[in-house]
Amino acid sequence: MVETNATLIAIAMMASILYLTRITGYFIGLQLRHIRGIQPVLEALPGCAFMAILAPAVRQGSISEMIAMTCVVLIMWRSNNVVLATGTGMAVLLLGGPYLDAG
Amino acid sequence: MSTWQSALLGIRTSGDYFISTFLFGVMFGIAAAAIGIENWQAMLMSASVFTASGQFAALEFWQAPLPLGTIALSVTLVSSRNLLLGMAMTHHFDGHSLRRRLVLLFLLNDPGVVNSFRMDDEVDRLGYVTGYGVSMMTSWLCSTFLGLNAAHLFATLDLGAVDFAGPLVLATMMMLFFKNSKTKPTPWIVAGIVALILFEFGMADYLVLLGSVVAGMIVAIIQVRRAYG
Repeated sequence: MVETNATLIAIAMMASILYLTRITGYFIGLQLRHIRGIQPVLEALPGCAFMAILAPAVRQGSISEMIAMTCVVLIMWRSNNVVLATGTGMAVLLLGGPYLDAG
Repeated sequence: MSTWQSALLGIRTSGDYFISTFLFGVMFGIAAAAIGIENWQAMLMSASVFTASGQFAALEFWQAPLPLGTIALSVTLVSSRNLLLGMAMTHHFDGHSLRRRLVLLFLLNDPGVVNSFRMDDEVDRLGYVTGYGVSMMTSWLCSTFLGLNAAHLFATLDLGAVDFAGPLVLATMMMLFFKNSKTKPTPWIVAGIVALILFEFGMADYLVLLGSVVAGMIVAIIQVRRAYG
C-alpha cells in the first residue's frame, strides 16, 4: 500500500510536469514566431508526433488491430464521424479479436 | 466571435471526443482501483494531471515505495507531445493577457487543438480549445468516477483488447489533420516512414518520437522555403 503523503507528492509532481509541458511548447513557439514562414512548420509538428506513435503501433499490431485501424481510417475518410469510426474499430477489436488473432 | 462564444462552440463540438475520452476514463478508473489507489486520490490525479497517457504510464510503476524519478521520466516522455501542441498554437492565442494564457493552457488538449484548425478564422482559438478542454475534463472526471466505482463489475472481463483504443483515437485525429490541412501532408508521411525505420532498428520510443518529429520538421521547413522562393 502506497502512503498517502507519497501519493500526494507523486500527483503534485505529475501535475507540475504536465502543466510545464503544456506551457513550455507555447513559450518556445513565442520565441520562434518572428522567423518568417515558421507558422506552418510549427503547425505540422503535432501531426508528426501522432505519426511517430501511430506507425510503430500499427506495425506491431495484430490482424484484428490492423483491420480495426483500416476501418477507422476509411470511415474517417468518408464521413469524419469520430464516434462511428472509433466504435467500429473497437467492435472489430472486441468481437473479431478472439477469432482473427487465434493461433 | 468572443472568447466566451468560442468556448461554448468548443463545448458544443466536442461530443465525439467526449465519448472516446469517457471510455479511457472508465478504463483508468478500473485500473486505478485494481492497483489499490483510493478513490479520492485517483479523482485528484485526474483533476490535476488531466492526461490519459501520462496517468496510465504512472500506474505501471505505482507500488510502494513510489519510484518518483521513474514516474517523472515516464510521464515526461509520454506527455512530450504537449510541447508540440503548444508550439502549434503559438500564432493562435494572440489578443489575450499573459495571465489568461497561462491559466487556460492548463486545459490544452489534443482533440481541441486538432479541431481548432478546422474552425473559421473568426473563432477565438484560446476560447475554443479551453471550451473543448472543459468538456474533456468533465468527461474525464465523470468516467474516472464511474470506473472507480464500477471496477468490480469489470473484474472478470478481459480488457486487453482495449489497449489499442489509444492508437485508434489518435488515428481519427490524424485523419482530421490530413483532411483539413491547408498544406501538403508530406511532413507527416515522412515522419511516419522515419518512425517505422527507427522502430525496425529497435530504437527506444522517445528516440522514435524525436527522430520522426525532427524529420517531419525538416520536410516542413523545405516546403516553406520552396513556397517563399
